[in-house]
Amino acid sequence: MNTIQKKIWMLAIVVLVMMIAIWLTLTFYNQKVQTQYNDILQRYLQMNEITSESQQMVTDLNNYLLMPSDETQSRLKASRERLLGVQSTVYELRNVENEFALTNYIHLISSFVETVDRSVSFQEQEDTEASLTEFTEATRISMYISEMTLTIIDTELKTYEGFYRGIIKQSAELKKLGVWMLLLITAALLLFTYLFSLSITKPIHQLTKAANELANGRFDQTIYVDSNDEISFLAKTFNHMRRNINAMILEIQQKAQLERELQDSKLLLQQSQLRNLQSQINPHFLFNTLNTLSKKAYLDGAEETSDLLVSVASLLRYNLKRMDRAVTLAEEEFVLRQYMEIQKARFSDRLQFFTELDSNCLNLKIPGLTLQPLIENAVIHAIEPEEDGGHIWFRIKDREEEVWIEIEDNGKGMSLEKRQQLLEGSIVPAEGHSTGIGFANVVKRLQLFYGKEDLVNVESEIGQGTKVILKLPKVKGAANHDQAVDSR
Amino acid sequence: MRKKVIIVLCFLCAVLGIFTLWSAEGAFRSDWQLPAAVPADEESYRLVLITQELETPFWDKVGKGATAQAEQEQVILDVWGSYGNNREDFLKQIEIALHSKVDGVIVQGLDTEEFKELTKEKAAFYGIPVITVANDVPVEESLRKTFVGSDHYAAGKMLAEQLVKEMGGSGQVVLLGDIEQEYSQRQRLLGVTESLAQHAEISTVYAESGKSDEEIVGATQHVLNQHPNVEAFIALNANHVGPMMKEISRRAELEPYYLYSFDDGAETASLLDQGKLDAMIQQSPEQMGEQSVKLIMQWLRNEVVPLESSGYITDIRVVKGAEAGP
Repeated sequence: MNTIQKKIWMLAIVVLVMMIAIWLTLTFYNQKVQTQYNDILQRYLQMNEITSESQQMVTDLNNYLLMPSDETQSRLKASRERLLGVQSTVYELRNVENEFALTNYIHLISSFVETVDRSVSFQEQEDTEASLTEFTEATRISMYISEMTLTIIDTELKTYEGFYRGIIKQSAELKKLGVWMLLLITAALLLFTYLFSLSITKPIHQLTKAANELANGRFDQTIYVDSNDEISFLAKTFNHMRRNINAMILEIQQKAQLERELQDSKLLLQQSQLRNLQSQINPHFLFNTLNTLSKKAYLDGAEETSDLLVSVASLLRYNLKRMDRAVTLAEEEFVLRQYMEIQKARFSDRLQFFTELDSNCLNLKIPGLTLQPLIENAVIHAIEPEEDGGHIWFRIKDREEEVWIEIEDNGKGMSLEKRQQLLEGSIVPAEGHSTGIGFANVVKRLQLFYGKEDLVNVESEIGQGTKVILKLPKVKGAANHDQAVDSR
Repeated sequence: MRKKVIIVLCFLCAVLGIFTLWSAEGAFRSDWQLPAAVPADEESYRLVLITQELETPFWDKVGKGATAQAEQEQVILDVWGSYGNNREDFLKQIEIALHSKVDGVIVQGLDTEEFKELTKEKAAFYGIPVITVANDVPVEESLRKTFVGSDHYAAGKMLAEQLVKEMGGSGQVVLLGDIEQEYSQRQRLLGVTESLAQHAEISTVYAESGKSDEEIVGATQHVLNQHPNVEAFIALNANHVGPMMKEISRRAELEPYYLYSFDDGAETASLLDQGKLDAMIQQSPEQMGEQSVKLIMQWLRNEVVPLESSGYITDIRVVKGAEAGP
């Protein structure tokens, strides 16, 4: 991982390397020029040294000739050695341009040395005249040497003129180069610094923006930071935190929803119970009275009346008991039949009731008092207003995952708007309901019980009758609903 | 904004980088190469051509021929000398060359004691071969190895014959020469006089002059005063032609006079072109240079030993002036 520290180090190293490179180049270059310059200077110095050494040797020779002694002789010898030493170095200075002149020069020096030697040997042989002649000769050669030195130095100057001018030109160029390089480095450093600072501040800006979003309550946007350093690590952590908070908020929302639903179901139950209580002024008294009336009717020989009264009583008892717990479909169907007995007694031939049951499905658990209100609706809307009465069909069908309960009549049906209103529960139950439980109440309770919407289907057209289909799943949905309902 | 800044900075960097590179190229490229060193063990022959008259057309040609030949032989040759017949300087150059122990000296002969002493003693002492070129000094006196140049006796004869041809068989001829005659001049004089002696009608007047212009002018004046009927001039020393002519033209027209000389002077070639000089002996300076180098190399390489001591004669011919004389 690229850390900010590493980046700072990188910047520092880049600057350092640049500076070292420049310094090395300039030093190397300077050194090179200096060496060349020194070489050339050395040439002049050596040539000059030859002139002075040869003159010194002439002086020494003169001293020796005037006053031959060990001292003067040794001095002469010393200067001779020196001259020969310098001569050998001059040999190294030859190049294509001055080969001829320098070779002559070297030979001239050796001629000079030989002449001096001859002079000394004549002196030793005490041939003073010959010695003096040689001395004069040596003096002359020494003069030639100085002249030639000047000539050669002059030639050298011409040879190296271009070089000197090159050096001068290059130093001017170097100055220009320095300025350019300074500007280049400044620009490069500005660029590097800008990129570097950007690589630090840009992720921070992104992070700040993300934090602002969070502060404004938008938890659903992923935090992305375009970086690979500590800031990116921070951003990842931040993102993780955001995800956790988001999840927690969702959970809280769900819980609140549940809470509300529970509240709803409680409210509905209370409402139906209230209705119950309103309609059952004294259910036990009524129940007992009905039993008594049944017995009395039986004793009076009115058996049919007695049966009817038993039906009413059991219906009433069912109503009292089964309001708030799940019952089997079989139980519900039994009560339904009791109810229909009573209605048949009321409408006699006008009511035709047909049932069609799949016995496999009778163990299905459903909330109590769900079918009876629906049948009652059919009776009220399809039989009561019709003079010729009508038909009601009740079917229980096994449909794989679901059980379909169909309640169909051939009454006058209803309009699309009315059907809509019915499903939305905006129709207040009309008077005349035995239990006071309306369609909407039934639907709501079914939804709560199965934890699922879309359970009820109503097919109807004006003049064509109405068909209510309950599509109940064999396996119940959310367990908590069941629990919530059962726990009462 | 950020992108703009980055682009601007990148662009700036690129531009400055180009300028820096461009400047660095100028600063670090040294277009001056130091002369190549000579391998220490390589020693080629060193020859010197020494003349008294540097930078005259004649000697330039000699130098050119010699240099070309030296290049061919792959030896080093340098042309030394004095300007304007400076004898002292000329002798000093010879002495320096000898002391410098060059391998061979090609020198314009000078018929003086100092010269002879140098060639006889110094050169012999150092064992350096000396070849005279253009002007000879007899071998007995100089111990030169050989001579390369014109046969001056023949040249003198040729010029005299040309004079007779143009002037006719009679007339008075002035022969202008140096007081201190060199060997080559003596040869020319001999050639001219011998040739003219065959014509009884032609009389010769010999005039002597010193080196300076004044002396030449003086000598010319003297001759013209003494012999007003003179018809022709022959300058034995080509360098005398200029002042002599000036003096003649100051007194009278140049045209009637027959003026003759040799080509080894500073002005002769241009005077000939102008038509002032009627004719001159044209020597072969390039050939002299070439031949002398060739011979000295043959001697140094022991190819031809000994060299012909009488000398190697180069071609001569008569060249007439651009505009014909009277």
